[in-house]
Amino acid sequence: MLMAEACPDDLLALSVALTGYDRASLWATGCVPLYLAQLADVAGPDLLARLETAGREHAAAVGADPDAADRQLRQRVLVDPDLGPLARSLIQLWYLGQWTPMPPEWVQRNGSKLRDTARILSSRAYREGLVWDTIGAHPMGAKAPGFGSWALPPAGETP
Amino acid sequence: MNDAHPTHYDAVVVGAGISGALVAKQLAARGHHVLILEAGADRGEDAATYRSYHTNFQLTELKTPNSPYPPNPSAPSPSVLDITSIAAGKPDSNGYFVQRGPNPFGSNYTRVVGGTTMHWLGTCLRMQPVDFRIHSEFGRGVDWPLGYDDLAPYYERAEWEIGVAGDKAENEFHGIHFAPDYDYPMEPIPKSFSDRWFEQGVAGMKVRLNNGEDKVLAVSATPQGRNSTPRPGRHKVGGETAGPYGSAGNTGPFYAFQGQRCEGNSSCIPLCPVQAKYSALKTLQQARQQKGRVELRTQSVVSKVDTDPASGRVTGITYKRYEFSGAPVWEMKHVTAKVYVLATNAIENAKLALASDLCPSSGQLGRNLMDHPYVLTWGLAPRPVGAFRGPGSTASIPSLRDGRFRTDTAATRLELANWGWNFAANSPYSDVQRLVGRDNLFGAALRARLRDEVPRQVRIGIMPEQLPSSVNRVSIDPAWRDSLGEPRPVIDYSVDDYSRAGVLQALDVTRAVFARLGIEDRSVVDPSAPGYVTLAGRGFVYFGAGHNAGTHRIGLSPRDSVTNVDGRSWDHDNLWLVGCGAMPTIATSNPTLTMTALVLKAADSLQRELEGA
Repeated sequence: MLMAEACPDDLLALSVALTGYDRASLWATGCVPLYLAQLADVAGPDLLARLETAGREHAAAVGADPDAADRQLRQRVLVDPDLGPLARSLIQLWYLGQWTPMPPEWVQRNGSKLRDTARILSSRAYREGLVWDTIGAHPMGAKAPGFGSWALPPAGETP
Repeated sequence: MNDAHPTHYDAVVVGAGISGALVAKQLAARGHHVLILEAGADRGEDAATYRSYHTNFQLTELKTPNSPYPPNPSAPSPSVLDITSIAAGKPDSNGYFVQRGPNPFGSNYTRVVGGTTMHWLGTCLRMQPVDFRIHSEFGRGVDWPLGYDDLAPYYERAEWEIGVAGDKAENEFHGIHFAPDYDYPMEPIPKSFSDRWFEQGVAGMKVRLNNGEDKVLAVSATPQGRNSTPRPGRHKVGGETAGPYGSAGNTGPFYAFQGQRCEGNSSCIPLCPVQAKYSALKTLQQARQQKGRVELRTQSVVSKVDTDPASGRVTGITYKRYEFSGAPVWEMKHVTAKVYVLATNAIENAKLALASDLCPSSGQLGRNLMDHPYVLTWGLAPRPVGAFRGPGSTASIPSLRDGRFRTDTAATRLELANWGWNFAANSPYSDVQRLVGRDNLFGAALRARLRDEVPRQVRIGIMPEQLPSSVNRVSIDPAWRDSLGEPRPVIDYSVDDYSRAGVLQALDVTRAVFARLGIEDRSVVDPSAPGYVTLAGRGFVYFGAGHNAGTHRIGLSPRDSVTNVDGRSWDHDNLWLVGCGAMPTIATSNPTLTMTALVLKAADSLQRELEGA
């Protein structure tokens, strides 16, 4: 299984940097294995290793100077023609539970991948999209907040 | 025929949606035996099927009204994803409809057990008294063969059949009135925080319309077919004492199926996970509890209503029973009854009647197809209003539903939406995609931007009245058939200048509301969209509202209507046509409640017919 090769710790560090949510929040989705397997399947071992390195370096640097760590992430990962599209899809995966396929230029450089298709990975992934928490709501059709809750002032984010 | 089922009934009803279920329930309550023939697939009623709908919804990227319901090649449904621009002389046959234009008909329906109430929003507005006589009042459209007060007892019964949550006082405008000893069966669904922000913002706001007429804007809570809390006490409902709603024998699996109280799942369209929203599944369950036998036969596509050429009376119904969705073969079946009821939606009713050469006298069958061409306007409020919470809409601005302007300009209802730009722009998906893909945000900055913007999203929907027109119609053509060999609906449709003028007037008003409340207008008008139309150089995009109506209108004379006021065909003594197709005009209210009132009136006449009264 690909999960054995992927290092959840470094990829989680990368996910924390990319999403703005801490590790506990990401584990709490119950989707870590599913998402990292999806990422590993599309990225392949070499690009995945580079993403792991980027996650490890960000985690090491963020305590001392968060702005510098983010700047480095942007320059090493997000603008990189191979890593950038993977990182942006990973952000959307966390926020929406949905994989965004690689752009044509990426496919030209790295070849097409079997699992690189637009889809919601599972019904749990739909329900656990971070965006719903971010916007102070709940996934449409799940985690209902209760009768009349919509009449109250907008709720705060999960602390 | 090798068939264990009986082949003769008191009544055969075509369609297991709200109309058919209500007819079956009422006739069975009197001990009559009813067969319901449903084109959709088996097992639509069980819990596992309902759960599978919910899973489909969660896993579908584009959560359209029909997304939970599996495509069924044997009984196809139209999809909003099929709509394209229509080139002159080249019909759009992408989907189930064959659209001849000039404008696309943007609405859909669902051919499953429960019908389109499976994906409806639940809005239960009454028509205004003046809406029943727009020809007399404004020289537009046609008058109804009955008035508000004639229909009022049936409105009461309809609201109690559906279980409407509402507040009388909020809905007493433009002449709408309620009997003093009547009330809605359930306490109102609270207005959303966003509704109340609008309500406070527009309080006292006066707008001058182009005809010089002044309107003062107000916000009204929408009555909804959605469980809240049953209203205590007893009330007069259609002349009978009733209440509290749902309390009699309220135990056991049957009542459990009547759904939970609304808990704010925010997915009414296309599916309420806890069945707080009314669907015809509830009435079907109730129908089975009555004295008479109600049999539901699914996967049964009615092919022909057979008639006796001499008397015009219906002699039987021929239908095709298929074994599974997409099965390459089917069996022909035949049933007979004392009375026959076509109770599918406006388009399927017209299609079936046309295919059976029914109702020729008036020439109106299939004509006067109407919808609410639905126009969206959206923006960012200056403060969080809590978008994406609660039922899809809980209030509207009814101020433009009536006025002297209706001689030249369509009335409109301004619907306040609770789900941000979900319908308008597929938010919050598109927001994440835009902020990540285009604006290069990630991490805390991305999170903060989403947090700042999305809860401020507001949207107003404009629903203009569309007049009956003989050129807007459903027809059939032997060249276009589905996989069972049944005709596909061929649709001619246009949105006329009267409706367009109503939309433009409403756009001016919504713009003034945005200005007053400090809402940043983010509406996008795409001239290449299929629903793009213009008037006097101003363009907008309309969508279907799913309010298909008007193809077999009721009336006073066989010369200009398909049925009498009870839905009984002028040409076929033992045939009734019920559903939104019965409506002579569509007004500015979502049609289901008015349709339901008409169905109950039709059911009374069916009952009288069966009982020789």
